[in-house]
Amino acid sequence: MDNKGIPLRKLIRRDKWLLLMFLPIFLYYFVFCYLPMPGVLIAFKNFVPGHGMFGGDWVGLRWFEQFAHSRYFFRLLRNTFLLAFYPLLFGFWIPILFAICVVEIKNGLFKRFAQTVTYLPHFISTVVVAGMIVNFLSPSDGVVNAWLVKLGMEKINFMMEPDWFRTIFTASGIWQSFGFSSIIYIAAIMGIDPEIYDSGKIDGVGKFRELWHLTLPSLKPTIVILLLLSIGGIMSVNFEKVYLLYNPSTYETADVISTYVYRQGIESKNFSFATAVGLFNSLVSFVLVYFANRMSRRWNEMSLW
Amino acid sequence: MKKRVRKWASLTISGAVIALLAAGCSGGGSESKSSGAGAAQGGASPSAATSAGFAYDGKGPVTDKPGTLKILATNSWYNNVDLAKAPIVQEIAKRAGVTVDWELLAPGTYQDAINPRLAAGRDLPDIVYNTDQDQTMKNIQAGLFVPLNEYIDKYGVNVKKMFEKYPDLKASLTTPDGKIYYLPQLAVTKNYMPLWMVNVKWLEKLSLGEPATLDEFTEMLRKFKTGDPNGNGKADEIPMTMDPKFLGMAFGTSFGLDLSNLFYADDGGKVHYSYYEPAYKEYLAYLNGLYKEGLLESDYASTTSDQVTSKFSQDISGVTFNFSWHQSMTYSPLYKDYDPSKPLIKGIAPLKGPHGDAFYLGRNPITGIFGVSKDAKDPELAFKFLDYASSEEAKEIYAWGLEGQTYTVADGKKQFTEQGKDNDFIQQFGINPVNMPIEQSVDATDVLVAPWHAQLDKEMEKYIKPPYPFIYALAEEASVENTIMPDITTYTTEMEAKFITGKESLDNFDKYLGTLKSMGIEDVLKGRQAQYDRYLAAGK
Repeated sequence: MDNKGIPLRKLIRRDKWLLLMFLPIFLYYFVFCYLPMPGVLIAFKNFVPGHGMFGGDWVGLRWFEQFAHSRYFFRLLRNTFLLAFYPLLFGFWIPILFAICVVEIKNGLFKRFAQTVTYLPHFISTVVVAGMIVNFLSPSDGVVNAWLVKLGMEKINFMMEPDWFRTIFTASGIWQSFGFSSIIYIAAIMGIDPEIYDSGKIDGVGKFRELWHLTLPSLKPTIVILLLLSIGGIMSVNFEKVYLLYNPSTYETADVISTYVYRQGIESKNFSFATAVGLFNSLVSFVLVYFANRMSRRWNEMSLW
Repeated sequence: MKKRVRKWASLTISGAVIALLAAGCSGGGSESKSSGAGAAQGGASPSAATSAGFAYDGKGPVTDKPGTLKILATNSWYNNVDLAKAPIVQEIAKRAGVTVDWELLAPGTYQDAINPRLAAGRDLPDIVYNTDQDQTMKNIQAGLFVPLNEYIDKYGVNVKKMFEKYPDLKASLTTPDGKIYYLPQLAVTKNYMPLWMVNVKWLEKLSLGEPATLDEFTEMLRKFKTGDPNGNGKADEIPMTMDPKFLGMAFGTSFGLDLSNLFYADDGGKVHYSYYEPAYKEYLAYLNGLYKEGLLESDYASTTSDQVTSKFSQDISGVTFNFSWHQSMTYSPLYKDYDPSKPLIKGIAPLKGPHGDAFYLGRNPITGIFGVSKDAKDPELAFKFLDYASSEEAKEIYAWGLEGQTYTVADGKKQFTEQGKDNDFIQQFGINPVNMPIEQSVDATDVLVAPWHAQLDKEMEKYIKPPYPFIYALAEEASVENTIMPDITTYTTEMEAKFITGKESLDNFDKYLGTLKSMGIEDVLKGRQAQYDRYLAAGK
């Protein structure tokens, strides 16, 4: 839609319902993401409880240096990155594939059944999912280990093995989200102009080529935007889930920046240090989004800004 | 509630003229002489804030004007209990003549929930309860809580008595510059402490005696695993089960370590860090052995106390480590054939380790602290309320409840009523309310548990070793600890799990010690040593 030349007031009046629907989202981001932003000031100060963010002395980059010298710096960086990258690598294409399959299902009842079943996990809270994972994987009375034993294999102490953490985290994340994430793709496929398919049929395009040359290219803008957004979120792994699933014996692969910030800031009350670490995390995220956006603009002529 | 307080308040106001007389009366009542002396002291000091003629004498009410206090504290550990509505808590407020506006949060994550609020440091309630005892004095230095020395001198009738009774407490709570900021919530320190408990029936079945040494204990675990002690013909026994938070406490003492407080002082007054001791390697080697043999559960790190109870109720586990209380109050009654006159899940003496160490760890007597916040509108009233709530009178109520309802007195001895023995009822009633400056009572526990249990507890007293005392850190010491300890905590907890499960070979123990050293543990120890030396000096 080209809105050039239309006065702002008219635009607002025209789109008032859309704007109203947008309001809660705007408020959420304003209150929880923009309002607290000046608080990063304490990353450069020696914060004293009760004296607010302007109290305390300036310490420059002292906390950033302390973090860079921490023996856990690279481990935290690696874990944070991988725990977000794996779900992206293994999970990003699944909703697309699923959406294509769902659209192709002709039986309406089965289609709705499949969709409902795959959406459901999305609505289970993280605490419950974590509880389910721990129960299913328990070596003493978990289902999974019971099967392993029946198949004549050794029991695996999943939650205590650092080698298993990423797999468990990634797989359960995909299980929980792929159905719900597919909605946006299903909508996008439904929105493709049927004439494209009709002309394809006239040209005698087979099912697979139709998919490759018609459906996927039409989905490209959606895919790119969603991929960009996920790259931006790559450094913000699901804190609650890591916190609920990890324990000291899996710190090796499970301890991420946000859990470290929690232990440092909330448990040990090193607020300035924790803020500095959190700010560092955001900076890395920002750099990632920036470059992802640039690459996308160059190769796809599609970008967020 | 509110109405009643008004009535009390008006009563006291009308009686304000004869307040002095009332103070005299309370002195001459059933209370001991020291109470009378305290009252006289309280009456003699000028109390500017309250109306002329009214003097707080250590007994309720604490004021003659209607007063409201906002208190932030923990709620009951029982989900279905709201302590703000519990009769015991309401009775204390009523007797104090104060309306309390409670803000009670779930106890499990309490400190994590209030830390950001303390950091913001604005609009704090009048009184704030902390489970974290502010050892590094962050909150004190930020000026979040007011020093109480002046109030203690003027009005601290009961607090002074408490400090006379427990001089160590006063030493612990006094900062290096001689101020006192917090009033304590107290636990019993020598009775009903955590200890080993074994299934006596299982021992009998396998003709075993109670293990006295660590070796005998290991042998017992092996027999529990293979000897089918529950007699169901299946090898379903999990010999030992416990909440992992007790693991270090349970086995550490046999190696002379304190893996509960982590720091400890030896007889020569030298401070040690348990994770940095040669004996810790032996502890790890022993637990690694148990783990490999399957005597320590493979998912020991995630066992919950509910699972422990469940394993006992299925009769598939024979040993645990937990607070003594559970012997006759939780675990033994789970068995159908439990005869309350004889122990079934029974506490045993500490296990003698390879170097002859045999003791149980006592608890730090301070389980929480109450501070009067800088935002308190009437800090004097807040202090007086805390002082009254710390009185012997209040402590009787916390431990026993209300006469006629939860207990009766016969021949000068208190006995719980049937209702008073019903755990669900007394929890609802607010017994030992964790939002108050309680002091756990051995006498009340003695009559509540089974007689064999009370007797056994007295036999265990001699094995209890007092824990490392609570001592404040100076600013420099605190700064060192705050920088170094969080990473050390991450490292040690992670390595402990790795060594026990064999992920990391014990051949690397020296490397582990080297890493701890490079992380700066010796700087922390230096600070702890200085603190301990100060503590010893203050006690002399």
